[in-house]
Amino acid sequence: MTSEHRDDPPNLVGSDAWAREVLADSEHDTGLGLAVARDAQRVVAGEMTEEEFRRRHHGAYLEAFGVDARPSLDDGLAPPDPERSRAEASPADRGPRDIAEPPRPQDTDAGDDGGPGEPATVPRRAVLGAVGGAAIGALFFGEMFRRNASAGEPPAQGDAASARGDGTARAAGGGVAPPGKQLPVQFGMVIDLERCDGCLDCVQACSDENGLSEGVLWPYVLSYQEPQDVDPRFLVRMCQHCTKAPCVMVCPTGARHRRLADGLVLTDYDVCIGCRYCQVACPYGANVFQWSHPAVYGGSFQGDGRDSRGVKVAGDPPMGVMGKCTFCPIRQEDPERRGTASCVDACAMGALHIGDLNDPESAPNRYLAQRREEAGGNLPTFRLLEGLGTEPNIIYIGQPPSAQAELIDGPFDYEDWDLTEDRRAVLEGPEPWFRRLAREG
Amino acid sequence: MATTQRPSVDETGDSALTATILRPLGRPSWRWMATLAAAAVGLAWFAQAWVFQLRYGLIVTNLADWGYVGGIPWGFYVGSFIWWVGIAHGGIIVSAAVRLFGMDTFAPVARIAELLTLAGLANAGLYIVIHLGRPDRVVSSILPNLPQTIQTSPLAWDVVVITLYFVLTATYLTLTLRHDLHRLAGRLPRAFTPLYRLLLAGHRPGEQAKAERMAWWLALGLIVLAPFFLHGGVIPWLFALLPGQPGWFGPVQGPQFLAAALASALGAVTLLAYVLRRVYRWEELIDDRVFRGLSRWVGLFALLFLWLQLQKVVTGSAMAPLSIETAVDAVVATPLYWVALAMLAVTVAHVGVQMLAPQRFSVGRTVAVAVLPLVAILIEKTLFVVEGLMYPVFDLYEGVPGSYTPSWVELSSLVGALSIMVLFFLVAVKVVPLIELKEAES
Repeated sequence: MTSEHRDDPPNLVGSDAWAREVLADSEHDTGLGLAVARDAQRVVAGEMTEEEFRRRHHGAYLEAFGVDARPSLDDGLAPPDPERSRAEASPADRGPRDIAEPPRPQDTDAGDDGGPGEPATVPRRAVLGAVGGAAIGALFFGEMFRRNASAGEPPAQGDAASARGDGTARAAGGGVAPPGKQLPVQFGMVIDLERCDGCLDCVQACSDENGLSEGVLWPYVLSYQEPQDVDPRFLVRMCQHCTKAPCVMVCPTGARHRRLADGLVLTDYDVCIGCRYCQVACPYGANVFQWSHPAVYGGSFQGDGRDSRGVKVAGDPPMGVMGKCTFCPIRQEDPERRGTASCVDACAMGALHIGDLNDPESAPNRYLAQRREEAGGNLPTFRLLEGLGTEPNIIYIGQPPSAQAELIDGPFDYEDWDLTEDRRAVLEGPEPWFRRLAREG
Repeated sequence: MATTQRPSVDETGDSALTATILRPLGRPSWRWMATLAAAAVGLAWFAQAWVFQLRYGLIVTNLADWGYVGGIPWGFYVGSFIWWVGIAHGGIIVSAAVRLFGMDTFAPVARIAELLTLAGLANAGLYIVIHLGRPDRVVSSILPNLPQTIQTSPLAWDVVVITLYFVLTATYLTLTLRHDLHRLAGRLPRAFTPLYRLLLAGHRPGEQAKAERMAWWLALGLIVLAPFFLHGGVIPWLFALLPGQPGWFGPVQGPQFLAAALASALGAVTLLAYVLRRVYRWEELIDDRVFRGLSRWVGLFALLFLWLQLQKVVTGSAMAPLSIETAVDAVVATPLYWVALAMLAVTVAHVGVQMLAPQRFSVGRTVAVAVLPLVAILIEKTLFVVEGLMYPVFDLYEGVPGSYTPSWVELSSLVGALSIMVLFFLVAVKVVPLIELKEAES
């Protein structure tokens, strides 16, 4: 249980090898992608004018995609615009090029089993027509629902595309990594259980920063006792941001996804349908559903909650949508706050460390190296339920709870921090009309 | 709509048989109206419960989170979903048995069974939607992302196979219905003429042989789809492929789900056939042999299910890995589980007795016993979902094993789904002949 180092060396973002790896997953021309990526770097470095960048590859773009949708001078060469990329990815805009037209049955195909004089195979065509009609109907209703669903939600500032509900980060074609794929940057944590004193500061800080509804605890501190011990031990359990996350794999909408930039496992709040399959599939029990209107249960998240891709991923989720620890994804995109998280900042014991686990110089790796040195190279570490193959990205320093471990009351009470531990006690729905009638006589 | 050559008025002649088949299509009786009213009330009750849930969220259920409190995120809705998909198998299994294996005994109930499949699948789809926190997004979130999600999500597979099953069944039913509608033209209620014209779009007198061939292939497709990709495959895989619930794991789940589905499905066909025979005095069309045959198959699948449960319990509680043993021990310690198994055992025993003493056959008793698996499987499937979630691998938190009983809103969904089934048949019985002409004549 000491496998905190990955075998494969970290790739460098921006290198050709990295670009090849990323582009290999695309159905488009790797060569063209590489050339454009190199030229884009030249533009950034000031070695190429924006005009030249735009002119170059124009023909190849048209040939490959039928449209050159790179930002033009007219757009002011804005940075990659989520609105534009979403619009491009929407099926309506793709047109017939991306949707293969089904082969049309011949008008008279009596030759397949009917003899001369046998009537044309009208029934089969009628059936095919009906199926086609149903498909068109489904698409129509899908569009209608999509418009209705997004109409009810206030448009977010600066991201009209998301408010339009043009789809997921996945549909936008960028910013999403498949489960199981090793990424050049993989955020994770090192949690030193030998330092943790179970004070619950991390839980409260998370609740404050994310404006969580009453009883929603994203990090959760389990106090337990081993048979041979006198003192309690603690396990800080939060989302493990697994590389091979079961929740991502089972999600029927792509709402639960891994962010390409840093491997964080996030939920697109605009897309999640609240089926709770992620909650059922997660072996750690890290998901917390929004069973009702957050405002009714003290949810106070005020921010926009959208990351740089325009995807709504942060804060207390809206009603009917799944939430969980996010590793503060907006912070990780902010150069000044990258490598911090509310829980990490709050921990007075310095037990929590967040950063890129692939970077030997990141805070968690430096901390791990230092603790190893202190321990003379004999530092016990583990990843939670590692045997399940989920490749969790939290490395714990200490011993995992044994099968004989027993849960005990910790030294600190959630109520002392104004937190509710038993969420079921507050999950009380309103009284139905018939009970009210019965009560009132 | 395609223009249709109106079929000649009276091809069938006025045989007594045709008149018997057409008996339900006349003016509705007071009993029909009363049943309609009861079903409408049931549906209305469910509708207000669902509106209540849509307004306040899934908080009105007794579902909750797991991980630091002992809640169950999936419960009665998912159990009922499995149950309805299972019932939906009944139709096509009976109908395909007639068409593919020449089991003509069941021919009179083939169409009733096909209609049961359609309504059962509709209810299964309904349960998926009721279960969601954001049902308004079901199309906009699932469809555009299907090319990606289909690669790894069992729930995406599930949506696809249920849709496919529905389309295939509806096509199959339409193909077999066209022949009858054509032959009975002029004797069918005028009020539904536009519907008949739609169903008969492009009909040619010579199409029957081809429609038969298409129906045969569709039946084959459906009967292959069920064990491999529906109740013997995708539905149990929704559970058995997950890493954290040992109670759901195991290769026995596929066969076990399928056996349960077929036992409950054939029970549902038996019940429907019995009710329709009584109401429309169809004793000569649906004779006792149908019920004898159906009850044997119900008994066989109930026996199979019991045998597979035995496998699960014996292997799981002896020397299995600790997490599996815990999960199986929990199942064994649940009294309701044994109630469900006892109901199935009664069905099996009844079939045995009936085979030993065939002269003591009673249709009423046979039907009552065939209905037992229906109830038993709903109980067992809900327990399967709930107990799987109560005993996860990661059990070091407050509240293991947790607790759950369905709320009034959740239970109202059963009233709603049963009302939908009743309404569906009330309408169907007035619109289309429920017994195939050709089958009845032969």
